[in-house]
Amino acid sequence: MIEELNKNFEIFRKTYIPKLEDEKKRIEAFKDFEKSGFPNKKLEDWKFSDFSSIISNKIENIKVSLERNKNFKFENFIKDFDHIKIFFFNGFFVEKGEKFDEKKGFNYVTPYNGFKRNFSKEGGFLILPNSNNALESLNNAFFTDGLSIATKKNFEFKKPIVIYNIFEGSKKNNFFNNKIHFVISENSKLDIMIYNINIGEEPIFFNLKNTFYLKKNSIFKLYNLSDFKKNDVHYNFGRYFLEENSIFENFNNCYSGGFSKSDLVCSLNKEYSSCFINGVMLSQDQNHHEIKTLINHNEKNTKSYQKIKSVLNHSSKGVFQGKIKVSPEAQKTDGYQLSKALLLDKNSEFDSKPELEIYADDVKCSHGSTSGNLDEEAIFYLMSRGLDKYEAKKLLIKGFLTDAIETITNNEIKKYFLNKLENNINEHR
Amino acid sequence: MLEINNLSAKVDKKTILNGLSLKIKPGEVHAIMGPNGSGKSTLANVLSGKKGYEISGKVNYDDKDLFELAIEERAHRGLFLAFQYPLEIPGVNTSNFLKTSLNAIRKSNGKKQLDALEFLKIVKQKASELKIDEKILHRQLNVGFSGGEKKKNEILQMSLIEPKMAILDETDSGLDIDALKIVAKGVNALRNKKRSFLIITHYQRLLDYIKPDFVHVLMKGKIAKSGCMELAEELEKAGYEKI
Ligand SMILES: Nc1ncnc2c1ncn2[C@@H]1O[C@H](COP(=O)(O)OP(=O)(O)OP(=O)(O)O)[C@@H](O)[C@H]1O
Ligand SMILES: [Mg+2]
Repeated sequence: MIEELNKNFEIFRKTYIPKLEDEKKRIEAFKDFEKSGFPNKKLEDWKFSDFSSIISNKIENIKVSLERNKNFKFENFIKDFDHIKIFFFNGFFVEKGEKFDEKKGFNYVTPYNGFKRNFSKEGGFLILPNSNNALESLNNAFFTDGLSIATKKNFEFKKPIVIYNIFEGSKKNNFFNNKIHFVISENSKLDIMIYNINIGEEPIFFNLKNTFYLKKNSIFKLYNLSDFKKNDVHYNFGRYFLEENSIFENFNNCYSGGFSKSDLVCSLNKEYSSCFINGVMLSQDQNHHEIKTLINHNEKNTKSYQKIKSVLNHSSKGVFQGKIKVSPEAQKTDGYQLSKALLLDKNSEFDSKPELEIYADDVKCSHGSTSGNLDEEAIFYLMSRGLDKYEAKKLLIKGFLTDAIETITNNEIKKYFLNKLENNINEHR
Repeated sequence: MLEINNLSAKVDKKTILNGLSLKIKPGEVHAIMGPNGSGKSTLANVLSGKKGYEISGKVNYDDKDLFELAIEERAHRGLFLAFQYPLEIPGVNTSNFLKTSLNAIRKSNGKKQLDALEFLKIVKQKASELKIDEKILHRQLNVGFSGGEKKKNEILQMSLIEPKMAILDETDSGLDIDALKIVAKGVNALRNKKRSFLIITHYQRLLDYIKPDFVHVLMKGKIAKSGCMELAEELEKAGYEKI
């Protein structure tokens, strides 16, 4: 697999037209990756998910193609709520989406429309970070396109932005590396949904890096949803930096795909910043989903809240690794973390590793983790009211997961996700 | 309506019901009293189809062998149990659940499904008749309900479903006097020539409002004595010891 990637990388370097200011970085990044290879379970961060065997099981030949589809057509976008649409097709930004202008409250750049317009103070994604994360190195090496947005100050978005990442997985094209980079400026307010969809016949590996800077008093909500196929592999590496009094809300839906891992690092760098990272997993057909979080409380009076609800069935696997780290400066930290899982068959597995690492003394931190089966008494109660066993279980599963979805504060999106849940449960036999 | 013949039930080799026989005709209201642990709830559970019991004997319900019917089929055919301890089900909206339940039963009886509006009209009316605060309809099923609210919610379900045979397991326990009257009113409103009730209780008070046709004493897993209202009055005075 590594050899294959090596060949791909050579071709990629020859054919990819926009050049980074520092192309050497790509080569270094690829070397870093080659040194470590795909992560395996010997690494603490990958303890419950052996990525190197997962990827070779799911994808036969990894292939990067830089072909851009000019006849891109996608009509299947969300009709349930009004939103600003941004499209990526097979990893490339598609101009057919929303026209951007200042009035809409943001400015944007993608490598293909303006590589040189490096307007973002944080460096945007045009400067590749050094990384000891093999999949991030791989992303740096193969990074093709992405989106860098800075919102206007004091601007409140009336509609959410939905970023559609649409893929047509094929034997010739199945490996995609993108970056999303946002600066949520002072006093601005924005809701985003990242929606990944594979409409192709063959599995893909989508390696996404996203970075968000939340400036003073900003409110940012980020929702993730995927319609993946059985063998799709997705790694979502998110880094979030919060400044004074900013609020970050994140919700992760894990319903589909062979393997997905959301690896989220949230740094509460200034006072009164708070983050809410919640999610649901409804895994079946040997799916394997992981949510891994690291919350860095770096300043006093910061708050974090996490609630993950998981339902595992049909030999599937769920993992939650969550760590709350409180630095010595971070007095009066308020950290909360809860993971609850339901195992519906004995071949399914849920692994949870909650961790607290606290170096301050005046803090309020709690974590809890449970996993168990559906309550037989509750099933009996519902059946005695005329529901058959399947309906009774469905109602209980829905209730169990709804509890996490209820944390979403964008009501339109919450309603949309509740419908998604309903549909996914109906398919869940 | 319901004919129980020599019914026994065991859990882990422990006999709880021990050769119980009882016949309830259409339109009749029977009350069962009996000391704690005598098997009253077990009887109710076995009749509604709860798993985990080793059962022998025969029960005929509405001209069918009851034990051939699945739990939900019993409900579809008009058997209803108001639980002694209604379960709290987080995340499940009460009103939504009531609609799902009612529609499941209507569907099995070839009746039209109620849409949200039709349902809401009916449930609001029934709730106001039972003096149930409408707010609980929007809450999660029984979660954080007071003891009385849980019991009233069971009676609300009974009046929505309009069962043929309703079993009430200590629905009166823990109710204040006004709530007790409401429960009695709920039962009396449904009472007719075709519908039967089996009311499990520890207190004569509820029976004063409902006036059952028969009163039975359940002891050690079988009916130890049967009579009419006077039996309940006797028990209230003298307790179970003399039986
Ligand atoms: N699943 C079970 N496992 C073990 N013992 C059980 C089980 N269910 C019931 N029992 C026992 O059977 C006996 C009868 O229980 P049951 O709940 O039917 O009593 P009851 O008459 O309803 O009492 P109460 O008036 O207190 O409600 C009790 O001793 C109880 O502990
Ligand atoms: Mg009882």
